[in-house]
Amino acid sequence: MSTEVAQGEVSRTPAAQAAEDRPGRAARISRDNRAGWAFAAPFLFFFIMFLVWPIVHGFYLSFTGQSLTGAGGSWIGLANYSEALSDPVMWKSLGNTALFTVLSTVPLVLVALALALLVNIGLPGQWLWRLSFFMPFLLASTVVALFWTWMYNPQLGLINSMLEPFGVEPIAWLQDEKWAMISVVVTTLWWTVGFNFLLYLAALQNIPEQQYEAAAIDGAGKWRQLFSITIPQLGPTTALIVILQVIASLKVFDQIYMMTNGGPNGSTRSIVQYIFEAGFTGYRFGYSAAISYIFFAIIVIVSLVQFRVTARRSS
Amino acid sequence: MEPLSADESRINGGITRRQMLTGSLAVIGGMFALPALSGCSSSAQSQNISLKYWHLLSGGDGITMANIVESVNDTQGFDAHQTVLAWGTPYYTKLAMASAGGRGPDVAIMHASRIFGYAPGGLLDPWDLDQLAEFDVTEADFPEAIWTKGFVDGKLYSIALDAHPFILMYNTDIAAEAGVLGPDGQLQEISSPEAFIEVALKMQAVTGKHGLSYGYLGDGAQMWRLFYTFYKQMGADMDLTGSRVVIDEAAAVSSLEYMTQLLDGTVAAKTGDYGTALAEFLNGESGLFFTGVWELPTMKNSGINFDARTIPTLFGTPAVYGDSHAFVLPHQSSPDPDKRREVYRFVSELLKGSLVWAGAGHIPGYLPIVESPEYAELIPQAHYADAATLINYDPEAWFSGSGSDFQNYFAENIQNVLMGQADAASGVQGFVRRLNALMAKPNPVTD
Amino acid sequence: MMSAQVLTPPLGVHPDAPATPARRRRRKVTGGRIAALVVLIVLAVTWLVPFAWAVVTSLKSEADAGATPVTWLPAGGFQLDAFTKVLSEGNIPRWTLNSLLTATAITVITVVISALAGYAFSRLSFKGRRWLFVVVIASIVIPPQVLIVPLFYQMLTLNMVDTYWGIILPQTIAPAMVFILKKFFDQIPEELEDAARMDGASRMRVFWSIVLPLSRPILAAVSIFVFIGAWNNFLWPFIVTNDSSLMTLPVGLQTVKSAYGVQYAQNMASALLAAAPLIIVFLFFQRQIIKGVATTGFGGK
Repeated sequence: MSTEVAQGEVSRTPAAQAAEDRPGRAARISRDNRAGWAFAAPFLFFFIMFLVWPIVHGFYLSFTGQSLTGAGGSWIGLANYSEALSDPVMWKSLGNTALFTVLSTVPLVLVALALALLVNIGLPGQWLWRLSFFMPFLLASTVVALFWTWMYNPQLGLINSMLEPFGVEPIAWLQDEKWAMISVVVTTLWWTVGFNFLLYLAALQNIPEQQYEAAAIDGAGKWRQLFSITIPQLGPTTALIVILQVIASLKVFDQIYMMTNGGPNGSTRSIVQYIFEAGFTGYRFGYSAAISYIFFAIIVIVSLVQFRVTARRSS
Repeated sequence: MEPLSADESRINGGITRRQMLTGSLAVIGGMFALPALSGCSSSAQSQNISLKYWHLLSGGDGITMANIVESVNDTQGFDAHQTVLAWGTPYYTKLAMASAGGRGPDVAIMHASRIFGYAPGGLLDPWDLDQLAEFDVTEADFPEAIWTKGFVDGKLYSIALDAHPFILMYNTDIAAEAGVLGPDGQLQEISSPEAFIEVALKMQAVTGKHGLSYGYLGDGAQMWRLFYTFYKQMGADMDLTGSRVVIDEAAAVSSLEYMTQLLDGTVAAKTGDYGTALAEFLNGESGLFFTGVWELPTMKNSGINFDARTIPTLFGTPAVYGDSHAFVLPHQSSPDPDKRREVYRFVSELLKGSLVWAGAGHIPGYLPIVESPEYAELIPQAHYADAATLINYDPEAWFSGSGSDFQNYFAENIQNVLMGQADAASGVQGFVRRLNALMAKPNPVTD
Repeated sequence: MMSAQVLTPPLGVHPDAPATPARRRRRKVTGGRIAALVVLIVLAVTWLVPFAWAVVTSLKSEADAGATPVTWLPAGGFQLDAFTKVLSEGNIPRWTLNSLLTATAITVITVVISALAGYAFSRLSFKGRRWLFVVVIASIVIPPQVLIVPLFYQMLTLNMVDTYWGIILPQTIAPAMVFILKKFFDQIPEELEDAARMDGASRMRVFWSIVLPLSRPILAAVSIFVFIGAWNNFLWPFIVTNDSSLMTLPVGLQTVKSAYGVQYAQNMASALLAAAPLIIVFLFFQRQIIKGVATTGFGGK
């Protein structure tokens, strides 16, 4: 980050430098100072109002028994945190979230890569491919949940009716503990794979053609090229997609809340849903804030670990 | 991205993308235009005060309620708009959030058993008794237990539209064949647990499958309804207002043991969910069915010959589990007095029109309706009207009531007992432990 | 947090870069290519099935939609009843309007304040710029989900629960967009601005008349990304609106139920109507949207 700013400074052109050396330099700096704050002010105002304030206040709330009804605002120290750490529902929700993250990230990366490679071959109908795979990403979670709850309907759903000729008994996809998480993952794959697919497609088109030509001259076949050029060249993109995907999956709420409401038997309840339930269904703002901060800590740790790992790999 | 555009204009020389676009646009555009044309007439609303009315009734109840609202809108000059939210937790969560924000709906329906989780925290505004009296709604117009249920700390927060108890339905054909009908053509008097089983077995002999249908699997509400009926019939009490549960464990264990006795595979199926039980009764594979009054429309539509009655008193004290749909005023920080007045009038008109509501099976809370000759002609509704006076709501606590987690806690500990995989005493103790843990925490509504 | 190298590939802000020659070349038909085509067709069809099934269901009568066995061709023929019913209830048009209003306001505010801030971080050496930038970039890691409770509490305090502002304002902070815009402004040669400044133009004037016109592609990309996000966002609008007349499409569809119970055809009709606006826009501006998403994608999450 700091190198970022430093780069900005270095990139100042000689002309600008020369301008600053002129007599009015001090005046200019003070003018820049004022202008700088003026330009940043609107953003900073919103930033402080709607990000800094809530994050600080939420931290404070996590040490109180604050309730939705306005009651219980007094300081109770670490009671919420110690309760959360011994709350089996919180641990189960964290476990579900971790499971969802693993189950969703792997196919969301691999399928996206496969789709991008296939489309990148350059077959006719390019716009149709991109449309098919990317369009679901433009849908609101509610629409996705409506579509798929209907697909998964045990009696009237398309999926069971397509399986019927193969002698498969109707499966209660979203009501059966064995299937609920898998079903939600499949829906998520359908919904968001298009985004990773696009990122891969963009990266693929940035691989210099000369590399393939050189490899072809050396007699490397298509498959050889795929593994010796394409996949390695996509390394940084893959790393980034994995990072973004893991973080996004950890925050899952919408589709699970809508399709299974965390059921059956709490087997799909994500940690964000538990934050919501503790705070709004159970009224316990303070407790909910404490769980939020535990979750926040996990996100920060996961981010740091991932960045460390990718940084090491790329260096 | 760029290189991909080469083939954009054509797929295999067929339809171009533009053509497809124009086509789809025309279709969708046409759809939006439809109601714009047909909806003109309704926009010319009169000067009525518009009311926002929330409830959680859907399906049969929802249709009936929609008809009632439509009819008072037309005949009494209201401009009430109903918003239906998903039954249970989603509804109650949103209602609490709206009330906390001070811009809640003008009037809403809640289960009377849930008031305790709302009123003490200031999420509801109290009703003004004088103003209610102006619109013919007074204490004398309701059964006492139902009227007083609306009070918290001496103020009235909810007015019951109905009472909907857990009842006993029976197949009259099977009952006649089994010889268990009394001289009046209704099920004979039953006043002991043994007598009930005897009747059920006689019916089982007729159906060849089961005598009684009772589904509970994965359904905490169903387990709780029957349990609490028996428990209260034993004269026992449960109190959740202190810091620990006060419960009559012996009565709780006996109630559960009697339930397991019923679930022996002959009297009733050992395991089964609600839907299975319903189907069984509808198919004539059992003669008796423990269910709620709200199932009445389904029964009528099915065409089977049936009747219904209050669950007989098996353990000495007449009592049944039940709840009420009740009108509440979600908290508003600055209510408009004219609008509030219109709400009182609206509620009064809905109560006076609740004979229609009785058609859906519920027992109206408003006595002038229940005591009317028209109601006496409603069969089988009139056969269980006495249940309204015997009704027992969930024990009061901020976390109890219909659609709350309370019934899930019950299910977590009791399902195994009913399935014969755990003994009743340990089930009851598990339930008590769960509640004690909850009650040891600060009450988020008031503390 | 984000290395510069990450942003460079998609940030190739050369909208009209020549296509890689190899891909324009006519390729001969080989067995491999045919196999790939078959696989692609199967996959694309699979991806389109949920849409198709929704469309077919929405065109059935409720009786046909709820009938077994499940068929693509309803016994009673296709009809528009579900759409007419859903639209005549008035909720969908209302929610569409709310979505349009809030998403537009969020986009405008976000882009304006982020561009101004991005410019300040890029060009103006004001005191405290360094640590401020660090704070803003670090805040990218904050998941909005952890803010729902304190933000709702704040809205209660500000009396903004169930208001448009309550939906809009908390969604306008996008540190990642500030970062992306700053990176872009860094690439604009400063000489272009210096000339104008010599003529006595104010910073605001320079920003308005020189920097912004040069930044159109990136502004479009950021706007598209922010708009799509705001249009589809569920969690925050769901928390802050209870009044059904203020709900956005995703929130209303999820929260408000039919008094008539589950109506399959009408459910699908509502879902399709809610999906339609963005999909239509996408069909027309496919290239720009894909480029916008790819450009902002890495920084945007």
